[in-house]
Amino acid sequence: MSAQAKLYSLFADKLFNVCLKYSRTPEDAQDTLQDSFMVIFKDIKKFKHKGSFEGWAKRVTVNVALQKFRKKSIIKFDDIEESKIPEEKAYVDVEEKEISLNFLLSLINKLPPQYQLIFNLYVLDEYSHKEISEILDISVGTSKSNLSRARKLLKKQIDAIKKLQL
Amino acid sequence: MSKDIDKLFKDKFKEYKATAPTEAWPIIQAKLKMIRKIRLLYMFSILGVLSLISFMLFSTHTENTLSKPLHKNTSLKNDVILKVKEVKEVDVNNDKLPMSKPQENSKKLYATIATKKESKNNTPLEKTTFFDKKFKDTVIEKQVKKIDSLVNNLDNLVEDLKNDLKKEKKKLLKKKDSIEVEKFNKEKRRRWNVIPVFGILNSGRLSKNVTTLGTTRAVTYPDKYFDDNKSSGLISSTYGFNVVFRATNRISIQTGIFSKELRFLTEDLFLSEFIPDVNPTNIIYNPGVEVRFSNTPEIGGSESASLAQTIVYLEMPFELKYRMFGSLKFNTNIIGGFSFLYLNKNEIRAKTDIFSRSIGRASNVLTTSTSLNIGLDVEYHLSKRLVFNSAVIYKKHYNTYKDYNNEYSPYTFGMHVGIGYKF
Repeated sequence: MSAQAKLYSLFADKLFNVCLKYSRTPEDAQDTLQDSFMVIFKDIKKFKHKGSFEGWAKRVTVNVALQKFRKKSIIKFDDIEESKIPEEKAYVDVEEKEISLNFLLSLINKLPPQYQLIFNLYVLDEYSHKEISEILDISVGTSKSNLSRARKLLKKQIDAIKKLQL
Repeated sequence: MSKDIDKLFKDKFKEYKATAPTEAWPIIQAKLKMIRKIRLLYMFSILGVLSLISFMLFSTHTENTLSKPLHKNTSLKNDVILKVKEVKEVDVNNDKLPMSKPQENSKKLYATIATKKESKNNTPLEKTTFFDKKFKDTVIEKQVKKIDSLVNNLDNLVEDLKNDLKKEKKKLLKKKDSIEVEKFNKEKRRRWNVIPVFGILNSGRLSKNVTTLGTTRAVTYPDKYFDDNKSSGLISSTYGFNVVFRATNRISIQTGIFSKELRFLTEDLFLSEFIPDVNPTNIIYNPGVEVRFSNTPEIGGSESASLAQTIVYLEMPFELKYRMFGSLKFNTNIIGGFSFLYLNKNEIRAKTDIFSRSIGRASNVLTTSTSLNIGLDVEYHLSKRLVFNSAVIYKKHYNTYKDYNNEYSPYTFGMHVGIGYKF
């Protein structure tokens, strides 16, 4: 088994996990995974052993996914002045056991691309608003407002499903 | 119990374990292989070029250094030794040589060299030449072998790359087809298309461009009626609408209803007042028309005329369209099929310099006939609903005339355009 094959077998599942969050369909996720590994193999010398390799590979994957979004030109952020941003949290009245992970993933994938990106980056991958603003070339305010909207949309969908179940 | 939405997602995703698709790794491997091959090819190309340059430089240098001795039957080394010796000799005889004649001086010098060379044994010189030649041959052989192996490697690499590219192309085509099928499935709701069409036609006859208005039955009459006068097609038009049903991603069925006009002109005729008891032509004259037509002028002169024949059909085509190539916006189709034709208008007009009037109709045009259609069609999708359609269609008619075989049946070649509505 070559070193590349070993690396792939070690990290493919973890990185595919990331790809699924940042793609609209499983096919897109597979494309992102393939492209990410190509970048990883090409740029592996750039990994300076600061932090874990897994963390570095995940960042590469997120960047590849973002590039794909940019190429498709499907991101349009709602620009809002920073001062007008309320940092709103959202709450849902559900038990964790009632909701499957695949359902949550489908909710993320159905979000408008700009909300999907910011929600993933901030909530699931724990980037700060400042980091997000640098990565996506937007203001911190825009990042916050889009996150609030993403939360609201997700809450709306979960509440709707909850009502149907009742 | 209320739960923070961020926490809900975070907690759930912590336990999420996706499995990468099995087909991803072979694709990555193929891509890596391709990159390696390209790098190798690039490296070999550079090596090849460098080897070629070095070979050329080396061989030129060798040629320069070896050509002199080979030509003069001596080596560079011997040349140098001789020159040193001769310089010594020149030094000795320097006083005797006139300073004003340096050329003579050098001539003498070389003459001395030549005499000395001849007086010496040639064997060591020949040996050196043989060594040099052999050395040169070995170097050239080595370089040639190197280049041959490089070229062979490059050929293999190019072959491999070609095969890989073919495979990739096949994969992409498959993917493209699947995308098109998906697109077709998405657009299933808009499979019908109604297109109002207008077309310009040119009519003609394939082999015998002879009028069908004359007759060969004029044996009992001394005058020759215009049975072999030339007839030419005139520009005419067609209009109606097509209904297209997209059956599959590539095949569509097309029908419709059209009014199709055909026009022919029979020239070089003369008016005649002689009205025979039996009509010897294929014209049924309108009541009150008291002139006839002949292809020979009467004695004393008669006015020249021509006959313009107009045939209008109601046409119902049944055609298949096959999409050859295209994109989301633009498609090119080939069309093949047939049409049923029902005679709707049959008129003959006489034209002279002075008047033009309807004189009757042709008696030999059949009420129903058919045509075989073939053409090329281009579609441009203006929007989700509207499509611009343009087609070039050739139609060969069959069973048009009584008593005439299909060689006389007309053909039309036309350009059709229209804007269709998809629903």
